[in-house]
Amino acid sequence: MNSPLVEIKDLSLKYGDYTALQSINASFFPGKCVVICGPSGSGKSSLLRCVNKLEEFDKGDVIFNGESLKKTKNISQIRSNIGMVFQHFELYPHLSVLSNITLAPIQVKGLSKTEANENAMKLLKRVGIDDQANKYPAELSGGQQQRAAISRALALEPKLMLFDEPTSALDPEMISEVLKVMRDLADNGMSMLVVTHEMGFARDVADEVVFMDEGKIIERSSSKSFFEKPRSERAKEFINKVLLKI
Amino acid sequence: MNYEFNWSMLLEEPYIDWIIEGLLNTIQLSLMAWCIALTIGIIIGSIRMMKSPILRFIGTFYVEIFRNIPLLVQLFIWFFVFPLLLPDNLMRAWNSLDGVPFLTALIGLSLFTAARVAEQIRSGIKSIPKGQFNAAFSTGLNTFQTYRFIVIPYAFRIMIPAIASEFLTIFKNSALTLTIGVAEITAAATYIESDTFRGIEAYSVASLAYMFTTASVVIFMTWLENILRIPGLIGKK
Amino acid sequence: MDFNVIIDNFPFLMKGLLTSFQLAFLTIFLSLSLACLIAVGRISNKKYVRYPSAIFVNLLRSNPLILIVFWFFFLVPLITGTPLPAFGSVLIAFVVFFSAYFAEIVRSGIQSVGNMQIKAAQSTGLTYPQTMRLIILPQALRNMLPALVTECVIVFQGTTIAYIIGMREFLHSTSLVAERTIRPIELYLFAALVYLIICFTGTRIATLLEKKE
Repeated sequence: MNSPLVEIKDLSLKYGDYTALQSINASFFPGKCVVICGPSGSGKSSLLRCVNKLEEFDKGDVIFNGESLKKTKNISQIRSNIGMVFQHFELYPHLSVLSNITLAPIQVKGLSKTEANENAMKLLKRVGIDDQANKYPAELSGGQQQRAAISRALALEPKLMLFDEPTSALDPEMISEVLKVMRDLADNGMSMLVVTHEMGFARDVADEVVFMDEGKIIERSSSKSFFEKPRSERAKEFINKVLLKI
Repeated sequence: MNYEFNWSMLLEEPYIDWIIEGLLNTIQLSLMAWCIALTIGIIIGSIRMMKSPILRFIGTFYVEIFRNIPLLVQLFIWFFVFPLLLPDNLMRAWNSLDGVPFLTALIGLSLFTAARVAEQIRSGIKSIPKGQFNAAFSTGLNTFQTYRFIVIPYAFRIMIPAIASEFLTIFKNSALTLTIGVAEITAAATYIESDTFRGIEAYSVASLAYMFTTASVVIFMTWLENILRIPGLIGKK
Repeated sequence: MDFNVIIDNFPFLMKGLLTSFQLAFLTIFLSLSLACLIAVGRISNKKYVRYPSAIFVNLLRSNPLILIVFWFFFLVPLITGTPLPAFGSVLIAFVVFFSAYFAEIVRSGIQSVGNMQIKAAQSTGLTYPQTMRLIILPQALRNMLPALVTECVIVFQGTTIAYIIGMREFLHSTSLVAERTIRPIELYLFAALVYLIICFTGTRIATLLEKKE
């Protein structure tokens, strides 16, 4: 039994009077792809952002790979072992696609420019857009931008990948190209936490599903059990609403 | 640093007189120049929005000239050059006037600021969505009525911050008029400093005058904006 | 009117103009650099950074430039014990003054870039200073280019104030020649024309930049 990659202990997060997360407890193990889903405002994105401390949580702690995020003095180093992909891609518009990917490896991990460029080109090839390397983000389609953003996150050789609604801002025709990249990652054993509304992905690719509502984890099970036999009423409601769309 | 503070001297004669005179001159000059600048500025700003290309050119010409020449240069020209360009009898009349520096400063400041006001009027009117004009015309209002009931109230709310900040700009720019002999508050501070060598005390008085005015205008403006606020209007900066 | 007086004194006048440009360029470079630091300070979540930055900016924006020049002219020799040459005191006063104005422009630019870019950069392990330097400030400055150019024109116009403490910039040179040759009309009108051309070009560039967006 290997030790958990991410341990979340009693995590609470408030924005003013609004409670986003209520005393969350969860552990995530390496090599697993976990989908976090739930209605809007359930706290899924907030939870994700706590894992790499982009949100400052009020109470509780997140232990990543044995290190406490609350106590650490070196959050930058920890973050360089976690890759994150955002809903609106968030590529740097003033840098070329290639520079977007090589920036952190050079600045944070101290790679030489040549090394970083080589690695970046390999990643771009892997996601299928190596011919876009010298273009600027604005010249790429949404699907290409998101694949570039995934490469940017992978460039740090992270132990964990976080996806915050990666396909929600994409036109329908481009969703599949991004989901394919994510599927390849999962098949190759990457540890992944994915916040998404793509239930097809959850059912076919994810190992586990975590269902959240109103800042709490309501249900967690293998993806097969979750879709075939959801236990809580809220989860049943949610699945029905979502499946009606499929 | 070897410095002996002496704040009480500010209350002694003749310094307190200089300070009061300076403050009065600054306030007088600023208020009068602001009123004139607003008047001229509204006219020029409106001219620039009219259909006639000749009028628009005149407006643009005015704005570019008075905006791009530094204020100090303009003041010098009004002070040194303008009287010389007048016909002899007018020049003599001008020179024999009481308070020539103040008058010159008033003209210079007003015309300079009018150009800025004109620009703000123009962008204020421009920012009114075209749909408003269309809606008004479609209900049968003529141009005058449209301006009176729709355009001016709308533009007025947008322009209040700009108009108030123009007053602050004039208030600060009035300091430049000391170069042509106006005894405003900064000038008073320099006289006190050269007399007593207490520069910190002297300049503090002037700074306080400017900072107090700035703070007061900002507070007043915030209050005014809250009163006149149109809910949901994005046209506020 | 005799415009030959301008031609006769042209080298002297141009030397003054050069001084004006030098003061302007140095001011712009130094105060813009300082402004970036202040702007970042303005948005800091540490109160002991945010409050002093705000006080600095508001203090300087409430005072006329000429008064700030007088302040520094008085204080700098007092603090350092030696009288500073005119250019030095004026430069410090100008840099401090305009950094407050540039800071507000840069701050507006930073806010226009948006919070998510900061999060994206930090998620790759970049520190906050790295994020500001490599990601946010380049975009902020690019976004605010028209406003920055306009402010640069204002800096150039401001160089006329250095006249008052005796610096031989363009306006001062002009008035010296005007006094000597007793031809104020020709000289001051010439000065006005030169400033008009330079500043008009500057504001034109700013307008073009704005249209490009």
